[in-house]
Amino acid sequence: MPDTHEDLDTREDDVALRVRAIESLLIEKGLVQPAALAAIVETYETKIGPHNGAQVVARAWTDPAFKARLLSNATGAIAELGFSGVQGEDMVVVENTPTVHNMVVCTLCSCYPWPTLGLPPNWYKSAPYRARVVIDPRGVLSEFGVDLPPEKEVRVWDSNAELRYLVLPERPAGTEGMDAAALAALVTRDAMIGTGVAAAAGAGGAP
Amino acid sequence: MPALPVEEVDGLIATGATARMTDAVEPRFRPGDHVTVRNLNPLTHTRLPRYARGKTGTVEADRGVFCFNDTNAHGQGHKPQHVYGVRFAARDLWGEQAAARDVLYLDLFEDYIEPHGT
Repeated sequence: MPDTHEDLDTREDDVALRVRAIESLLIEKGLVQPAALAAIVETYETKIGPHNGAQVVARAWTDPAFKARLLSNATGAIAELGFSGVQGEDMVVVENTPTVHNMVVCTLCSCYPWPTLGLPPNWYKSAPYRARVVIDPRGVLSEFGVDLPPEKEVRVWDSNAELRYLVLPERPAGTEGMDAAALAALVTRDAMIGTGVAAAAGAGGAP
Repeated sequence: MPALPVEEVDGLIATGATARMTDAVEPRFRPGDHVTVRNLNPLTHTRLPRYARGKTGTVEADRGVFCFNDTNAHGQGHKPQHVYGVRFAARDLWGEQAAARDVLYLDLFEDYIEPHGT
């Protein structure tokens, strides 16, 4: 998104200050235990993140029976890999194909599948992404560096109710001999939101 | 509300709390039904985006029975009801500027929609 670094830094300073103020008030009033808060932060900083979702995708690319379960009962299939819990209670997986590209947004707030992707990036929560992706998905995609041919159908999933969405990206060409661990490294967070595609073989995955 | 104890954090994160409900509620709509989003404009909590109000789409999936956020958020009960995955043509939402083949999906509570043409 076209934020300048200066805008972004100022906004993050503001957010950090506000969070610190709210945190000290909640602790002062006895509504939050500092140790519990630290444990939650630690969990989402080190344990739960897009590397979980990448394992789900890589398994689906290499195991057709798992992929079938994932597309028919996403919550149950993802639970097989142990990635269940808060904000992943009711999952739906949507598959990208040569003719369909899926993108996920929550226009009303920031609904996001935490057990598989971790906490959402700032741009996912920003008003410009939420407002624009529904009305101009191809324009937003293009700003993310993804230009789709006009004949490809774009499906935008606005996840405002209780279902949470994960995009199953297309498996990149040239990855036929790769095992699930190597494939998982190609699966970026953005590819599973639908604002990106999986990296080409040999390129390696960025977050 | 008591503070969450640190020893309960891992269990809570791993389990979550689904809003799905076990109440036996008959669905009013079926996949394939054409439905129009009611023109609701509550000043209180809702999961209905404004851009969909008055628009017509097609029920693609019955997601099951869920607690209704619009009432539950205000202590007015769970009002369990079906949530439907509804498909809208991008042009029905945004007009001719949208790509002809693009679509948008919304999960809509039964209270948000009515049969098309009523």
